[in-house]
Amino acid sequence: MFGRLLWKMLRGNRGRLAVALLSIASGAAVISALLNLQFDIERKLTQEFRTLGANIVIAPQSGAQTVDLANAGGAAASVPVLMNESAVEAGLEANRTPDVVASAPFLFIVARAKDEPVVTAGTWLDQARKLNPTWKIEGNWITSREDETQCLVGRNVAQRFQTGPGGALTLSYLGRSAQFHVAGVIDSGAAEDSQIFVNLPVAWKLAGTPGGIGLWQLSVSGTGKSIGEYAARLASALPGYDVRPIRQVTEAEGNLLNRTRLLIASMVVLILVLTALCVLATMAALAMERRVDVGLMKALGGSISRIVGLFLAEVSVLGAAGGLIGCVAGILLAQWMGQRVFGTAITPRWDIFPLTIAIMVGVALTGALPLRLLGKVKPAVILRGE
Amino acid sequence: MFARLVGESFVRNPRRKILTAAALVVGMAVTTATLTVALEVGDRMAREFRSLGANLLVTPQSDTLPLEIGGVDYRPVDEGAYLNEADLGKLKTIFWRHNILGFTPFLDVPAYLGMGKAESETDVTLIGTWYEHEVPVPDGTIFKTGVSVTHPWWKVRGQWFHDGANECVVGAQLAARYPGGVSVGQTLYVARDEISSYVQPLVVTGIVSTGDADDDAVLVPLSVAQDISNHRGQFRQLFVSALTKPEDTLASRDPKSLTPAEYDRWFCSPYISSIAFQIKQVLPGTEVRAIRKVADSEGRILSRVSTLLWTVTIAALVAAGLAVGATAAATVLERRKEIGIMKAIGATNTIVGGIFLVEQLLLAIAGGAIGFVFGAALARVLGESVFGTPAPPRILLLPVVLGLAAMVALVGSLIPLRRAAHIDPAPILRGE
Repeated sequence: MFGRLLWKMLRGNRGRLAVALLSIASGAAVISALLNLQFDIERKLTQEFRTLGANIVIAPQSGAQTVDLANAGGAAASVPVLMNESAVEAGLEANRTPDVVASAPFLFIVARAKDEPVVTAGTWLDQARKLNPTWKIEGNWITSREDETQCLVGRNVAQRFQTGPGGALTLSYLGRSAQFHVAGVIDSGAAEDSQIFVNLPVAWKLAGTPGGIGLWQLSVSGTGKSIGEYAARLASALPGYDVRPIRQVTEAEGNLLNRTRLLIASMVVLILVLTALCVLATMAALAMERRVDVGLMKALGGSISRIVGLFLAEVSVLGAAGGLIGCVAGILLAQWMGQRVFGTAITPRWDIFPLTIAIMVGVALTGALPLRLLGKVKPAVILRGE
Repeated sequence: MFARLVGESFVRNPRRKILTAAALVVGMAVTTATLTVALEVGDRMAREFRSLGANLLVTPQSDTLPLEIGGVDYRPVDEGAYLNEADLGKLKTIFWRHNILGFTPFLDVPAYLGMGKAESETDVTLIGTWYEHEVPVPDGTIFKTGVSVTHPWWKVRGQWFHDGANECVVGAQLAARYPGGVSVGQTLYVARDEISSYVQPLVVTGIVSTGDADDDAVLVPLSVAQDISNHRGQFRQLFVSALTKPEDTLASRDPKSLTPAEYDRWFCSPYISSIAFQIKQVLPGTEVRAIRKVADSEGRILSRVSTLLWTVTIAALVAAGLAVGATAAATVLERRKEIGIMKAIGATNTIVGGIFLVEQLLLAIAGGAIGFVFGAALARVLGESVFGTPAPPRILLLPVVLGLAAMVALVGSLIPLRRAAHIDPAPILRGE
């Protein structure tokens, strides 16, 4: 009986119910899309921040000199302290996480080209690219870590030695020398413009310090806190080395992330309130409409609790159905927003859907609060048509 | 007659009107708040990005290659070109001078450090710079700038040196590895090299931690570094922190290929390339480069965040529209009986529609105006909590908000009104 009545009620007044359903569904769509966006925004933004480059460096302890300045001219020679490449790599490998976007060892030496000192960096060139996605390259990047015949030069170096992609360059270091083809010219706007980049094994041969590196750079995605925790984990895995987050990057990242998140969160709350209000208004109107039905039911001997129960069931069904339809629309909306804002789709989070549906049912039931007044409905008045 | 009908409707049944008006007030308050914040956010976020420090680097044009590793230039002092400190005030005379938030010159000098005892002597790099330096600007004003603006993440334990005083701040790592340690208040002696007779005593005022290679150097006032290197009034590198606008298609084109009108637009927009160009104009003989890592990331993330915010703002507008429309529709539906009676005594559809639309319009204007006031207050609170400073209200938004309110209220009542046009008075009067 209860089920049949409910079914009849839902079928009877289809036009009005469609309006209510539409309002609930659109509310649910906006809410679920925004919640999805809100949860994904942190991940998306931290990925964007990786264009800022390395945010953790590993160096020999207590700022020891890692560069032999004998070639720099003037400064007194001091013996550089280097780290063991394979030891650091083993430590990093043991603490590998998918959050590590790029990581590369660096050995800086002051070599001479055409008898002029120039900073030469030996690194893993395939990783260095991912470490510095904002560098502009003229010519080609060197994609292989083993390539020992090519080098990349900074913009100023290319200008100074009048060379470019396809040119040749000879580097010498304390009597040893090596010949390179210039594969590409780097434009970074910073110190790298005055440096030469080669693969690590070549730098080892040139410097005569096989296995030694001066610095290891990592680009790790995550919040300031998670990056700090990862740095601490690395520090305990690599005793004797100095692991530190680059403050310029991590502090700015945390700052910006917090502000953006707060901003979007407050917007989402406002929209939630608005949408709830919209659904509330529709449901309240619907409930008032039902007064005539209630009068009739009461005249036929229906108890008030049963009648209210019936209407609550109707409202809940509406809320759940609208919420479900809205969630599906919300996924599409979130995809579209993700595409528009970040250029990539947003991963749908399934835990948002039950939450949205629950919110919608709750709001719909609140909207049905005027049903309390149904107890006061006098069947005689209603039946007289007043 | 028409006016009386509308007036009566407000007096007779104010409760019904209150629901629509309340929805309008809330909807328009949210609209005002989101629009105010969205208009403000570009500026605010750009300022937040300046916590990344400088985004422009100025170096001498005809220079030997800097031997810079990890932020320290290892070139000997007698090599390479220098820039003049006296010219720096000109930076605040360019077209976008107000967008220049700060600039700091650097002069790295290899030196010899000791505490007067042979066993604690070591090579060290002195970094001459400004902390809070007063720069005279050609227009007669004073501009205060230095690493406090361009390198805000540098933290000092103790105090920064005073400009021009014989004081220094020691990098944290150098302080840790220095035999016997370095403490605040101690005096260090620096010389250009072991055999130099010019020895400069410096009082340590603080220990600085930069998270960079500068941690292994001694930071001194620029004038001290100039004296030791014998390059008075000169420096090697200038870091400039400027507020910029994300690059768009115009900014990415070569300025030489622009038409005069486009060139004017480019010159008068705070793109990083046009600011770099203007700096080069006042500091001839220099090379001004955008620090790509900072400038590019800033542009990308700024445009992402503002698109995100506008998307959310549109969602807020849609939600506000839905809420107002739904309430408006509900009130019209409730008044079917009234419509039936009006029609029965001879009102045409135009008159009935007119009465309802004028009512909604009055409500929209009142609700929109009240909503605007609440929204401006809400925006203040939002700005305060997100950016620390309240977002000022924008009067220009008032007509926009009123127009939106009118549109939403009218569209919301149009659909039920069209259905009302089909209402047959007879069944209504019969009470069906």
